[in-house]
Amino acid sequence: MPTDTRRLTGPESSQSPYNFAPCSKLDMRNLEVRPDGRSFKQLRPLFLRTDVVSQARGSSYIEMNDTKAICAVYGPREVLRREDFSLKGQLTCDFKFATFSCKQRRQHQQDSQEKDLSVQVLEALEPAVCLHKYPKSQINIFITVLQHDGCALSAAIMCASLALASAGIEMYDLVVASSAAICGSLTLVDPTAQEEETILKSTVKLDANAGSVTVAYLPSMSQVSALSSDGELSFEVLNKSMQECVANCQRLYPVLEQTLVKHQQELEASKS
Amino acid sequence: MTDAELSEAEKTFILHSVQDNFREDGRGNEDFRHMEVETGLISNTNGSARVRLANTDVLVGVKVQLTAVDPEKPEVGRLDFFIDCSANATPAFEGRGGEDLGSEISAMLTRAYSCPSAVDFHSLCVLPGQQCWLLYVDVLLLECGGNLFDAVSIAVKAALFNLKIPNVTMTKDEGGVELDLSDDPFDFKRLNVAGAPVVVTVNKIGHKHVVDASEKEEECTLARIILGVTEKGTITSMRKEGSGSLDSDSISEMMESARKVGMELNKILLKALEEEEKQGAKTVGFLR
Repeated sequence: MPTDTRRLTGPESSQSPYNFAPCSKLDMRNLEVRPDGRSFKQLRPLFLRTDVVSQARGSSYIEMNDTKAICAVYGPREVLRREDFSLKGQLTCDFKFATFSCKQRRQHQQDSQEKDLSVQVLEALEPAVCLHKYPKSQINIFITVLQHDGCALSAAIMCASLALASAGIEMYDLVVASSAAICGSLTLVDPTAQEEETILKSTVKLDANAGSVTVAYLPSMSQVSALSSDGELSFEVLNKSMQECVANCQRLYPVLEQTLVKHQQELEASKS
Repeated sequence: MTDAELSEAEKTFILHSVQDNFREDGRGNEDFRHMEVETGLISNTNGSARVRLANTDVLVGVKVQLTAVDPEKPEVGRLDFFIDCSANATPAFEGRGGEDLGSEISAMLTRAYSCPSAVDFHSLCVLPGQQCWLLYVDVLLLECGGNLFDAVSIAVKAALFNLKIPNVTMTKDEGGVELDLSDDPFDFKRLNVAGAPVVVTVNKIGHKHVVDASEKEEECTLARIILGVTEKGTITSMRKEGSGSLDSDSISEMMESARKVGMELNKILLKALEEEEKQGAKTVGFLR
């Protein structure tokens, strides 16, 4: 992979000091309380606001305790290349973890995980945007995760859908997303990075069911727009946790609605 | 991805045929097309396989390499997937055209194989904390005829079944541990792939869903779910693909179909591979 020579990079082989730290993994079998004191079914508080990037058409910021992401939407603008002509508008999405956002330092270039997440965010938003209203044009979404503490995908989806709405892009519905981590009979709603990693990065089999699910949902149309699961789960467990995520999405929907209403009120106030 | 551009009438025809559970090539909605699997074709690899699923042609070569362990997971080996979308398959893949599709497929495979029960990752570790095997799984798409994800995953599983990892002997001297690779080509160990998943793509067309969609049928679908299914029927990874959205009830139905088909597919594949193994290497011809 080509690297940017203008940047100062670290030594070719270096290791994170955390690799030598005593194990920070949770004991999933005997977990009674979650490390942050939440109950298993409790979501983290959700904070959202719009208009954080003044130059963008629309922008938003999301905070779920220590997961923080910012999103900017540019466009609709003309598609320059003729071969990309399409009567339906095009949506592009660029998902990036800030280099300092995770425990391990990230590269400034998009890695394969970030590319995968970009596609997933895009596919979660596409069903919600009235792309037929934007012929010959493209809308660009840029998401940067500033701090990662689990559920980056669902935070990114919510943040981006709010940014699109605040940009005045015509949409069928807002997109709400929610995740859950599963280990055996335990279902941890809205998992933190520590909980996610304990379950997904384990090299030994923790339980017959160990994994995580993320669902993006269009609440007023009751449609699932994105669905992603990792780890090994049985069909029944996966189905059940999917329903649970959908229910959580419905609980989060009013927060997004209110943020959007507030954005609109502020816009009206600044006009008059 | 496809050259097939369908008219509205053709799309309606396909939609109706799916509705009646009698698709345009005579299959039912949960039937696969004819498939050919061959293993051990390429002598320079440690394991190889070719799968031809109707018009989709996939060639997989696995090469093993000794490497330093991942400091985060010091006692296991690693898998590395790379999908080369050759421009032979379709001119759209020319230059960097196939890159997106390739990274999508490799991301799906990486996720499907990331659970600890997929293959025995501990057996791929040579010296815990120091050296492990890194399996480079390289996939070459020779022809695209729909349902790439499934065909690639079947070929990958077959190639891993065929994989022969040379045995390593360790001798301890004062400087540390010395690794010796066996010269004998028959001194190798195999990888147990019983827990490895195959990927099943379920396409939503109209109110029904189909597995193993042809290129034309793929053109008619707006949303599909892609699942990694093991022989036991557990789901190792899942994602929705495409620009459409789905009802949660229909997702459950699609998952159920995928599980049923995936379990059967795993069983048949393993049986066919074992049979081929018993018969001995008799290549039926590479490209015909």
